[in-house]
Amino acid sequence: MTLTRRQSLGLLAATAVSAPAFGQAPAGSASSRKKVSIGVSIPAADHGWTAGVLWWAKQAMALYPEIEWTLAPAANPEKQIADIETMLAKGVQGLVILATESAPLTPVAKQASERGTFIVNVDRGFLEPVADIFLEGDNKSFGRKSAQFIVDRVNKTGGGKAKVVVLEGIPCTVNTDRVTAAAEVFKANPGIEIVGQASGMWNRQKALEVMETLLVKNPKIDVVWASDDDMALGAEQAIKEAGREKSIWILGGAGMKDIVKRVKENDPMYPADITYPPSMIATGIQLAVGVLRDGNRAKIQSFMPRHMMIDVELITPANADKYYFAESVY
Amino acid sequence: MLARIAGLFERYGVIVAFLVLLVWNAVFAESAADFRRPENLRNILNQNAATGIVAVGMTLVIVAGGIDLAVGSVMALCGAVALVVANALALRGFGETSCVIAGLFAGLATGIACGTVNGLLVTLGRLPAFIATLGGLVGYRSITLALADAGEIRAAKTDLLGAIGRGGIPVIPSTWMESGRTLTFTWNIILFFVVAIVGQVLLSRTRYGRHLVAVGGNETAARYSAVAVDRVRLIAFVLVGLCSAIAGLMQTARMASVSSSQLGLQMELDAIAAVVIGGTSMAGGKGRIWGTVLGLLILAIINNMLVMSAVSSHWHGAVKGMIIVLAVLIQRSRRA
Repeated sequence: MTLTRRQSLGLLAATAVSAPAFGQAPAGSASSRKKVSIGVSIPAADHGWTAGVLWWAKQAMALYPEIEWTLAPAANPEKQIADIETMLAKGVQGLVILATESAPLTPVAKQASERGTFIVNVDRGFLEPVADIFLEGDNKSFGRKSAQFIVDRVNKTGGGKAKVVVLEGIPCTVNTDRVTAAAEVFKANPGIEIVGQASGMWNRQKALEVMETLLVKNPKIDVVWASDDDMALGAEQAIKEAGREKSIWILGGAGMKDIVKRVKENDPMYPADITYPPSMIATGIQLAVGVLRDGNRAKIQSFMPRHMMIDVELITPANADKYYFAESVY
Repeated sequence: MLARIAGLFERYGVIVAFLVLLVWNAVFAESAADFRRPENLRNILNQNAATGIVAVGMTLVIVAGGIDLAVGSVMALCGAVALVVANALALRGFGETSCVIAGLFAGLATGIACGTVNGLLVTLGRLPAFIATLGGLVGYRSITLALADAGEIRAAKTDLLGAIGRGGIPVIPSTWMESGRTLTFTWNIILFFVVAIVGQVLLSRTRYGRHLVAVGGNETAARYSAVAVDRVRLIAFVLVGLCSAIAGLMQTARMASVSSSQLGLQMELDAIAAVVIGGTSMAGGKGRIWGTVLGLLILAIINNMLVMSAVSSHWHGAVKGMIIVLAVLIQRSRRA
């Protein structure tokens, strides 16, 4: 089999990424040829959450040194396709994929599936049912539950009326699902008035800047639906620099440990947070290991569900301990 | 007559565009009352000061016929190095002031070093600036990611950094402000003004500035006129590296942390956009710092306007892209 130029470049990239991190045995040695080999393809760490994905992937992989791992973070779909092609060329039996984008990754996933590669698809689904297991976070529930929390709290403490700022993330389906679901809840509650809506690109600095502008525009804001903990921190800084931290509270999202800590300590700016655990990549890796490790793939697959949805959970001071991971990067 | 008006427009169109935008937003727009607020005008300057400083450096390189795509990555690396150094010293029991000063100097040195490497690749290595700094764009970011394990580096001590990043000179006393809070011009804004003035003087009033223009305009002619072409270019890259370091350190101070994947991301595009809107020729040999400053403010006002008027963020790029292209179309030389 001949490697195309693209594949061999990708192979270089993939080994460059995985080798120093895991010090795996040279591919040619006799023992490694019998090893189960699994590829893990994830988006590059462009934000706190994706850095968390990388950290959790490494945690899960480190539990199984007997498996030959290939880990490749990709900044865009093109790189990710090349990574997966390279993994297939290396003959991996399993793939765990958190897609940078759904549509462009579907054909290569289909190609892998046709070769009999076991595929666990995490978080962002392929357009065709080519994954053996699809494990996703529920972004609509994320939007609904977070908005409902704001409505409930406003009904309890704010007399049912509140001026809310909505901070959106990077334009993509994840963001659209969250924002649309939240908007439906807000719309059903006439006491909630959306006084500003802007994109903070899931980025602390950007969120800080748009929040500064929205603060000038709106002399009264009660709540920020920040939809992400990085953005929550940016919004918080803008609010504090404007001296309005006494009158505004924030609901972030994803469960960054710093925010979880603030919730735990009853910080008035952070009455709650909502999970969207980056550890779901570790769940996916664990599933792939469980199916492939002992050579009983067919048997195990016969009872494994094909679609699992991880519900998001509200983090409150009462349960925050459970969601605080001191050693995690996120 | 018509040709003269066209010529004036070509030269000063950016001023007209800036004034039109400013007046429109401050007087006629729906959110004019909010736009005019001193806090908002201060925010616009503060949010764009870092980009402005980078754009000043970028103008110098572009005038010399080069380009620097690595600025954003250099910003991130400088911020990361500064915090790593400051935190390491803090761990060894040094006082906050010495930690921060050492960190800032380490950051500035990093910027100068990156600029020197880029400059040497272009001059000694004879690489096109686009390629050399493309390598920097990818490479310096990657080193930053490795330093921070792709996450965030936080300052161990944040008081002094916060004072640098958020503090400034009070310009309007609290009693005059509707919000009842003193309006300060942050050090970021002041630094931006200082860098812009130094850049303008350097480019238009010094021998080095004339050499930059000569090298960018016609390298062979400059060489025959005994201009040390390589040295002029190298210094331009060192200066833009220094500007990137200042910008990166300012943002680091403000956030008291460095996000290894985000700090300075796509800064090269914003800076180049400001330079181009300001009327500096991408071909080199012609440029002006005051134009870059206006170009930056035009982009900044548009950004502010889009957020104020709640235009969906999906459309922001379309508006900005149109402005960039229009600005260059208007200023394009008609004599060509």
